Amino acid sequence: MNRSLPFEVFRYAAISLALAVTLVPTLWMASMAFKPIAEWSAAGVDLTWWPKNPTLDNFRFIFGTSTSDLIVALDRTAGKPILSSLFSAVFGTLIAMGCGTAAAYGLSRFGSGKNLPLALIQLRLFPPMAVMIPVMIMWAFLGMVDSWWGLALIYGIVTLPFAFWLMKTFFDDMPREIEDAALVEGCSRSRVFMKITLPMMRPALASSALFVFILNWSDYLIALLLTTREWVTIPVYMASLSSSMTGQLYGAKAALGLIAAVPPVIMGIAIQRHLVRGLTFGALKQ
Amino acid sequence: MTAIHLQNLVKRFGAFTALKTMDLEIRDGEFMALLGPSGCGKSTTMNMIAGMENPSEGRILFDGKDMNGVAMGRRGVGFVFQNYAIFTHMNVYDNLAYGLRMRRLPEGEVDSRVRKIADFLQLSPLLKQPSAKLSVNILQRLAIGRSAIVEPAIFLLDEPLSNVDAAFRAVMRTELKHLQRQFRQTMVYVTHDQLEAMTMADRIAVMDHGVLQQVGTPLEVYNNPDNLFVAGFIGAPGMNLLKGELADSDRGLVVDLAALGRSAPLGPALAAAARSNGSRDIVYGFRPERVSLAPSGEGMTMPVVFVERIGARTVVHLGTDAQRVKAVFDNDVALEAGVSAAIAIEPGSVRLFDAASGHGIREA
Repeated sequence: MNRSLPFEVFRYAAISLALAVTLVPTLWMASMAFKPIAEWSAAGVDLTWWPKNPTLDNFRFIFGTSTSDLIVALDRTAGKPILSSLFSAVFGTLIAMGCGTAAAYGLSRFGSGKNLPLALIQLRLFPPMAVMIPVMIMWAFLGMVDSWWGLALIYGIVTLPFAFWLMKTFFDDMPREIEDAALVEGCSRSRVFMKITLPMMRPALASSALFVFILNWSDYLIALLLTTREWVTIPVYMASLSSSMTGQLYGAKAALGLIAAVPPVIMGIAIQRHLVRGLTFGALKQ
Repeated sequence: MTAIHLQNLVKRFGAFTALKTMDLEIRDGEFMALLGPSGCGKSTTMNMIAGMENPSEGRILFDGKDMNGVAMGRRGVGFVFQNYAIFTHMNVYDNLAYGLRMRRLPEGEVDSRVRKIADFLQLSPLLKQPSAKLSVNILQRLAIGRSAIVEPAIFLLDEPLSNVDAAFRAVMRTELKHLQRQFRQTMVYVTHDQLEAMTMADRIAVMDHGVLQQVGTPLEVYNNPDNLFVAGFIGAPGMNLLKGELADSDRGLVVDLAALGRSAPLGPALAAAARSNGSRDIVYGFRPERVSLAPSGEGMTMPVVFVERIGARTVVHLGTDAQRVKAVFDNDVALEAGVSAAIAIEPGSVRLFDAASGHGIREA
């Protein structure tokens, strides 16, 4: 296709703008993470794009091994919040994907009620805050406040509609003839699901899991309400990184943010080849 | 190697009746084509034979045994789907081996049978390839191979050739017939393509709107259609069907075709059958291939509306808007739109239908 010059200019301008909006803050955070206190604090002389004296002090600081320049005492290190985030997000994703996939398969293949899928999405029709108070009371009653498993459970419940709806769309797209072809050869229903359907659904499972994981990983509100001390997650911990002397500890926050970005990026790269929706399902494009 | 007997089979989906009381006997080792336009109930019938759908009423017998409640995996049927339903997460070899492994055959025998069928279907060089990126023609052969390898007693094919290109379709028609001759399975073949049904089937069951219209050998349904639907559906183009009225003339019983004039006298046997049918309103039918040009002054004279030259033959459209006649001539016929032509219909090729019921009026 031949495009005119003004259009090309406009196209690249739009792309540059979109990239700037997403990449500049990320780069700023990465740069900030390696700056010494003098370069990121309010007392700093002048702000620069790149660290003039790159240092790992911010990382050392949040892990509690060095407080040389920062005359602030941290009451805890970033180690446990990272573990808390990992546990709650991973297990929350497993719960949502496990229940969501099973429910989606059942409803897609044998579903009689049309209202159930809608009822599930209703879980997302009101702000989570509306139910968080009762949930807090329930969790307190069950002794699950301030625990990674309590957090994992609520994450699984909250993201279940997403997992369900994503997987249902994929199951609906899969021609039932593929399963019939296995059934007609004498394969049992459960075996068809395990050996035919799930393996063919691998790309769908991977992309849905990534989506659900990112939702859980980046939650702030629920963790803020349901954890107090022991099992605060990365976002909650990050908010606490400030002091009366220096105000917000931007360098430490940036360092933690950089660490927090690692798991989604690794997952994204690992399942990248599945993210392209090249599901032809062994059948013809209809 | 199993006879299939459908008894009073009915299938309803909610308020919609997909299949209305079907009775059909498919003989052991027979190649039966279920032929009809989309939505005629042929795939539904096939799915019930396979056990994918349960009949609303009626029974399906395999060699006299009622199949009601027998799971599809235990019916001994092979099924080739229209969209092939290949397991794309497996390679060609594993797809072919699937049915045998499900039956827990020793791996040695699985291997030798996979190689044999791959040879037969020219898939041998592709055995180790992933099946996700194969061409349509190869997917189609793979789908047939995956079902044929277990040598099912009943082989069901649901429009297997509708997605492949025309040249390959012609090849596969021959190969499928060859496959069936070799293994002698009972084969049920669903298609909307009459050429496939005509060339491969021992018998054809013509269906429309959930009703079985006629069962017979390809020539029977072509020569002696039971009703107006079959007459119009079979043949390309279909039979000419002109509304008319029986009329007596000094040469015997003729059909008054309104604007097109009067037909040639009916043969004595057909005239007798028409008289005993009672009604004077009939439909006069004849094949476009059985029309020839008559010397002027003889036959029926009518205007030429349109001439289609399709290579080997020429299809000429004649008559009026209400009474349209198609005739097939040699490709060099000297007719063009606007002229008048006198046509003669081969005696003995005329078929009459009752106008009210649509049923054929057969000679006694």
